[in-house]
Amino acid sequence: MNALIVTAVLGVMMMFSSIVLKRNSAIRMLAIVGLLFTFIANVLDSSGVHFFSINIKGMMHFDQFAYFFISISIFCTFIFFLLSAKEMERIGVNYSEYFALIFFILCGIILVASFTSLLILFLGIEIISIPLYILTGSDKKNLKSNEASLKYFLLGAFSTGIMLMGIALFYGSTGSFSVENSVVIAATTSPMLLIGILLLLFSMSFKVSAAPFHFWAPDVYDGAPTVFTSFMATIVKAAAFIAFIRLFSLAFTPLQDRWQLIVAVIIALTLFVGNITAVFQQSVKRMLAYSSIAQSGFMLMALLAFNTFSVEGILLYIVAYSISTMGIFSVLVKMKDSSLEEFNGFAKHQPVLAVALTVFLLSLAGIPLTAGFLSKFYMLKAVMHSGNFLWLIIFAVLMAAVSVYYYFRIIQVMFFKESDSNTIIVSTSFKWLLSALAIIIIVLGVYPQLLLQFLV
Amino acid sequence: MKEFLLVILVAPFVGFLINGLFRNVLSKKIIAFNACGQILISFLFSLVVFSTILESGGAIFEYYNFIKVGSFQIPFALQIDQLSSIFLLIITGVGFLIHVYSASYMKEESSAHFGRYFSYLNLFIFFMLLLVLGANFVIMFIGWEGVGLCSYLLIGYWFKNTEYNYAARKAFVMNRIGDLGFLIAIFWLIAKLDTTSFSIIFSNESLAKLSTLDITAITLLLFVGATGKSAQIPLYTWLPDAMAGPTPVSALIHAATMVTAGVYLVARCNVLYSLAPITQTIIVCIGLATAILAATIALKQNDIKKILAYSTVSQLGFMFFALGLGAYTAAVFHVITHAFFKALLFLGSGSVIHAMGGEQDIRKMGGLSKKLKITYWTFFIGCLAIAGIPPFSGFFSKDAILVSAFAKSPALYFMVLLGALLTAFYMFRLLFITFSGSFRGTKEQQQHLHESPAVMTLPLIILAILSLVAGVIGIPDVLLNGGDKLSEFLSPIIFVNNEHQLSHSTEYLLMGLSTILIIGVIVVAWVLFKKYKTTETVGIGKFFENKWYVDELYNKTIVNSINKLAKICNDIIEKSGIDAVVNGVGRLVHYGSRQLRLLQSGQVGNYILVMVLCMVLVFSFQFIFKK
Amino acid sequence: MNEVPLTHILVLSTALFFIGMFGLFTRRNMITILMSVELILNSVNINFVAFNKYLFPEKLDGVFFVLFIIAIAAAEAALAIAIIINLYRNHQSIDVDDATEMKF
Repeated sequence: MNALIVTAVLGVMMMFSSIVLKRNSAIRMLAIVGLLFTFIANVLDSSGVHFFSINIKGMMHFDQFAYFFISISIFCTFIFFLLSAKEMERIGVNYSEYFALIFFILCGIILVASFTSLLILFLGIEIISIPLYILTGSDKKNLKSNEASLKYFLLGAFSTGIMLMGIALFYGSTGSFSVENSVVIAATTSPMLLIGILLLLFSMSFKVSAAPFHFWAPDVYDGAPTVFTSFMATIVKAAAFIAFIRLFSLAFTPLQDRWQLIVAVIIALTLFVGNITAVFQQSVKRMLAYSSIAQSGFMLMALLAFNTFSVEGILLYIVAYSISTMGIFSVLVKMKDSSLEEFNGFAKHQPVLAVALTVFLLSLAGIPLTAGFLSKFYMLKAVMHSGNFLWLIIFAVLMAAVSVYYYFRIIQVMFFKESDSNTIIVSTSFKWLLSALAIIIIVLGVYPQLLLQFLV
Repeated sequence: MKEFLLVILVAPFVGFLINGLFRNVLSKKIIAFNACGQILISFLFSLVVFSTILESGGAIFEYYNFIKVGSFQIPFALQIDQLSSIFLLIITGVGFLIHVYSASYMKEESSAHFGRYFSYLNLFIFFMLLLVLGANFVIMFIGWEGVGLCSYLLIGYWFKNTEYNYAARKAFVMNRIGDLGFLIAIFWLIAKLDTTSFSIIFSNESLAKLSTLDITAITLLLFVGATGKSAQIPLYTWLPDAMAGPTPVSALIHAATMVTAGVYLVARCNVLYSLAPITQTIIVCIGLATAILAATIALKQNDIKKILAYSTVSQLGFMFFALGLGAYTAAVFHVITHAFFKALLFLGSGSVIHAMGGEQDIRKMGGLSKKLKITYWTFFIGCLAIAGIPPFSGFFSKDAILVSAFAKSPALYFMVLLGALLTAFYMFRLLFITFSGSFRGTKEQQQHLHESPAVMTLPLIILAILSLVAGVIGIPDVLLNGGDKLSEFLSPIIFVNNEHQLSHSTEYLLMGLSTILIIGVIVVAWVLFKKYKTTETVGIGKFFENKWYVDELYNKTIVNSINKLAKICNDIIEKSGIDAVVNGVGRLVHYGSRQLRLLQSGQVGNYILVMVLCMVLVFSFQFIFKK
Repeated sequence: MNEVPLTHILVLSTALFFIGMFGLFTRRNMITILMSVELILNSVNINFVAFNKYLFPEKLDGVFFVLFIIAIAAAEAALAIAIIINLYRNHQSIDVDDATEMKF
């Protein structure tokens, strides 16, 4: 609860900060300090120090998992600010408002991580989505950005409609919005409930960009300003996953046998479409968009099996995936365009960054001794426990092998190609930060308990 | 002991960190000293560990919990026992020699590249040690994947050449295909037994829980992993291409250590394999086919490293053949001797290439024995060892394989013997063409010819001595009472199958037969190739050269048919068969990618239409077909 | 006077829902598409209110939900108009098929 209110207040503060603060660096400083404060507030909250006492009528519930996830997303946003906040200046003049929107998104993330009522879920998703439509279209002069924003809005509104219909049917058959097993058990036989659940499944699949509801992702990720793509593809996506898993694990387990197979097929499709399409992409940004679809395939596995493995695995996955993807994007942002040629001979000009990027790519590809490998391992192990899905595991492992191909293409041009022209200029602190992130990836790949011990 | 193991493992990693991070600051001397020193530390501690194993047997040490969820845990545990200690010694020992050799071989490189090279090499040793020391499949897999990665980096070391890049990627992708099998096997084991520890899986209680189907599937999947790493049919074509890397790398990774990881895997799981006769038969077939196919291809190659590469593939085939027969000890024995003599041959070829100023084509060499005395003699010893002439080490290990083949069936024996004869033939063809006759290169090359410096020849001499004497550990009972120390040593790990005891007279006969035939083949090779001329010689020169009718006869009958066979194997089986399939898969993925992306038409209406159609599909399945 | 049965209302809302959905993938004009979206949302609203009134009249949570939906729909509409205007400035057109810069 602390973090929710703090982020909301901070959002409003950031909105008006440009009136008081004239320099961009001051605004940036305020955002970073504010975020740190949010983090502390959340940690205090989880250890029992509540700043506010508000009766939320059982519409939200903060458990250890929710607190932990909120901390992770605040931490990732913090890293995002450190890595790329400066790049936001290049997009447009409304520097402080971008921060405000990001804080509002965080607000939504906290809602979807802790809801127990479908109303809060709906509000959370919308609070995340609406600022994202704006951020996607924030590069007003850029045609691609406009177009991406439009597509995102149209498809997003469509999925919201589906979701609302699902909620309506759920309400019609159960008479309640609360996300509990008991509510569902009382009405298992109702076909309306099943339709409602399936509609919710579709709309949530849309939010996590799972095939065949992934169509928005490549275009939106490609068109949005790269800075915001990196935020969208990581932290926001992770939040959508948490909402998805929370919804289905809390409420819909009694009807598991009706939707489990569909989820398995969706996972297989997602892995297939994401990995295979990524192979041919020439633009790194678009390739990363497809790769993020492919990665959601793995993350969705947590939905197939609800056990300790999936709980720990999804958190590890989110951290590994978010850090790696943000790291790659933070370098991509600084480049002239996002074609693969830009990376030619990168290792020669920026050896430190090239090594860090290699670690990120290895982690995404799931090579051992990186967090990416372990998180994939956890997911597959979780599915293993739920039984009957050996075919999915084999397929997933195959697709992971395909992914090596396109991730290694970047490594290859970085190390094995000669560069022809100029390269990016980065500050020393950026190099240190990126190396630190690479080290985090490796440390988590060797000793995951470092992170997971907090989740007891 | 627990700490010692950690030191063995960490020392190369420290070397990697130092060289990797400070490669721009350190001088080449310090880089080389650091890299070699770390491996030496590992080697010395390995010796200590080995002596403890000799006295007190193996042990498992747990360091911390790698993965711990509920009751399921995968500890970061290292297992040291008879089998892994042998590999430990090979990796650190041969690894150290090759590091020393590299320090001189690579000295022309710029300081930064020199550092890069040694840091990769150290990292490789680290992962290789992890592979053999891991006490469960997950740790082993980490090493398994890591060595593949290092091999990729080192093959592409000279990254300016695009062809080399292609070779590197091919190696990695092919290894990954194999790794898939490995990974699926791990998950299968987890599904059935909920553990990955060797000690638990190989216990009787666990084995009782596995059905025959499980065991067959798991062993087959693991074998798929082994075919990728150890270059067996159909995943072997990366190894000859991998010769794009620097020669010491070929010696270390693609001859002595990494490629034998598959053998280690199967030997480690010998308990499982002994229970899976179907898998064993498949391994025998694939091993034999690989051994003979690669040997025939080697007959016609002209690139000195390619010949050695195919020879490695062929020798690995022998090892797998032995594994399939259940002669695990023989396979491990051959791994040991092969590590010595093949590393020797590769380093020798490196010395030759060094002297020739980078030339690898043996047709442009010749008569090198006069200028490169040490290289020549050590290479000669290597050839004798690989051909299997007593008392060189290769004789004993090959003999162990031959004997176990004969015990199974004489037909198998003769096929393997054919492989062994081919081995002797192409190796001595290589030796004679390279070192005998007259020099066929350019003038500048001739002036450039020189023996390599002592830093390079010393490892050659040590390896030559080892190739000569390493057979001692496995002298069969027949020749030396109380011999066969290796089986005795490995008996806690590898169940010794005593059912096929051959009589002593048969064994003598087999040894005699193979030795005589091999010597015969060498003589043939000597006659054919001692005065090798490039085929361009025509007219009178050719006439004089071919004054012996014997030559003609040989050419007409044996050589021509062998050449044809080699050509068939090379062109049809390898190029259009295996390579085509492997490349075909890649092309298929590409094609699929091109087609699939058309779905992303850019039009919102289409997107929504597809989504709605999918939803309708799901609903119809749910409500019409399920009811 | 007979009360209208629930099924009639549900048929109406479902029809609206599908009309909206149909509009989404047949219409090219962005404003029309926006209206289709509103149709979908309103069909949901009807559903909520009807369920609340007929099935669970003792509580008002369905109606409250509708209030939230209306508020958010308003926000979305405002945003959508802004996006469309922006696009019109760059494209001089409000046909969605013209906005296919990114594909494949």
